[in-house]
Amino acid sequence: MTAAAGAQLHEALASVPRPRLRRTESGLLALVSVAVLLGFATLRSQQALADGHEALTLGDPAVPLVYLGFTWAVHLLFVLAARRSDQVLLPAVALLGGMGLLLATRLPSGLVVQSFGPLELGLGELQLLWLCLGLAVMGWLAVAVRSDNWLRLYKYSWAGAGIVLLLAVFVFGREVNGARLTLCIGPVCGQPSELLKVLLVVFLAGYLSENRALLATQRTRLGPLSLPPLPYLLPMLAMWAIALAIVIVQRDLGAALLFYSVFLALLFVATARWSYVALGVLLFVAGSVVLYTLFPHVRTRIDVWLDPFASPLGAGYQTVRALMAFGRGGILGTGLGAGLPAAGGTTAIPAVHTDFAFTALAEETGYLGALAIVGTYLVLVERGLRIAARSGDDFRALLATGLTLTLGIQTAIIIAGNARLIPLTGITAPYISYGGSSILASAVALGLLMAFSEREASR
Amino acid sequence: MDGFLIALWILRLAFLAAVFLFLYGVLRALVRDLRRAEREQRSELGRLVVVAADGDAPAPGAVFPLDVITTIGRAASSTVVLDDQFASNEHARLTFRGRSWHLEDLGSTNGTFVQGERLDGPVALVFGDEFTVGRTRLRLERGRR
Repeated sequence: MTAAAGAQLHEALASVPRPRLRRTESGLLALVSVAVLLGFATLRSQQALADGHEALTLGDPAVPLVYLGFTWAVHLLFVLAARRSDQVLLPAVALLGGMGLLLATRLPSGLVVQSFGPLELGLGELQLLWLCLGLAVMGWLAVAVRSDNWLRLYKYSWAGAGIVLLLAVFVFGREVNGARLTLCIGPVCGQPSELLKVLLVVFLAGYLSENRALLATQRTRLGPLSLPPLPYLLPMLAMWAIALAIVIVQRDLGAALLFYSVFLALLFVATARWSYVALGVLLFVAGSVVLYTLFPHVRTRIDVWLDPFASPLGAGYQTVRALMAFGRGGILGTGLGAGLPAAGGTTAIPAVHTDFAFTALAEETGYLGALAIVGTYLVLVERGLRIAARSGDDFRALLATGLTLTLGIQTAIIIAGNARLIPLTGITAPYISYGGSSILASAVALGLLMAFSEREASR
Repeated sequence: MDGFLIALWILRLAFLAAVFLFLYGVLRALVRDLRRAEREQRSELGRLVVVAADGDAPAPGAVFPLDVITTIGRAASSTVVLDDQFASNEHARLTFRGRSWHLEDLGSTNGTFVQGERLDGPVALVFGDEFTVGRTRLRLERGRR
């Protein structure tokens, strides 16, 4: 009896994989932990100084410790599950999330307040909650996803779900700051366009990997341009229409720009044909001109971009304040907690916690800090593209490329917008900005990338 | 300037230093990874994976590295030998032309099917595509390193 039970136990233990150490990951996570703790120490000591105490302090250590604890827990999960997946993605995300957490803790917590029954959470606590949820989602996907068939086979269903989500926002959406993006179910509000990004990438990867050969070889000639066969142009036109609809109905320029550029990039990656890109850019220019002449909110954005100082207290206020914040930061920054993003309980830059998170961090950590943030995003992109290049089939390669480019292009759009390189469009900087939907959508993308980076052993 | 402000200033610099130390660590990991990838050059043009099979050999999950011209059939002279009663001796041929794989039926009795359609001429395949020879389902995959 006991022998049988012992044999059973032995068998059960044998089916559990042996833990596999992930030295690169743990080493990098240790550095991230040190950085985040140093950041919090700087911030709290600076705040203590403002209150008149001269003491080096970590303040209430709960926030960074809970965050770092969660990060290490995900690392431990990977070790126990004996994954051979990428070891750089988790630390990079942890650093970006830590930067975001530093910012969210440092801004006045009344900026966002959400109450769950008697429990009332401010900006910092909410961001911590979302980041931990995001880490959990990422860890779960990275360990649980073994096959991509459930994504590949139901690509039209995923696209359909995305469109339904979009229509639901059109109809039931709540208007915030002139943009109709938010959908509320009970007390929880979210921005479905964040999730829509991931769904559309899944659809595009499925569609393009299936029709790649056709799109790349056949052609119809139209003047100097050689185009793909007309029926295969339809999804392209549909994407263009969706992007336009998002701008017109939701007034969300950033999301529209993001969808469209990711689509064009994927089309090029799948077919290696410049003519598609040329056509796409032509359509983009035409659409932009039409939008500029028809819609005043688009015109305002462009005018502010060209000359924010024309109305420094009116339309250009946000941009002017952001530029001054960059200037105040200099090379080493004012120091965490010593900048002006929230002097005296009000924010110097409107929407600093979402749209201008990068600016605020650049002010307090300076040019060097900003450089490090951009570098970390670049690392994420490099890892994603490497995973794509290594993957065994076209669907996976395109999906990994799409998820990576979504993240990268979104970051590029918002950082360039913050620095007035391109007109400002209100989207979030992944993992750094406040926003539950944004963090969760990025976590889904990163989790899938990690799952696909698994080396072949388990196949 | 008093000691506390200096300490605070050092703390700030230490934070930046830690962040850049992290980036340096990442960079080293990336370079190591690229070096390894360079060493392990791809040696195969592609591979065939058996998804489902009727006969005893090959079993589902079996993997065949592909030659530039790969023949599939029951004959022992085929590159990929299928023990499948519904496959012809010389059933189908995979050829690598330029940058892509092409599949062609060699006048088999029961035909070769891609996405449920019987082939009547050469067709281009992409990695990840599945096709059926007799009762054996095969998938074309990128070669491993």
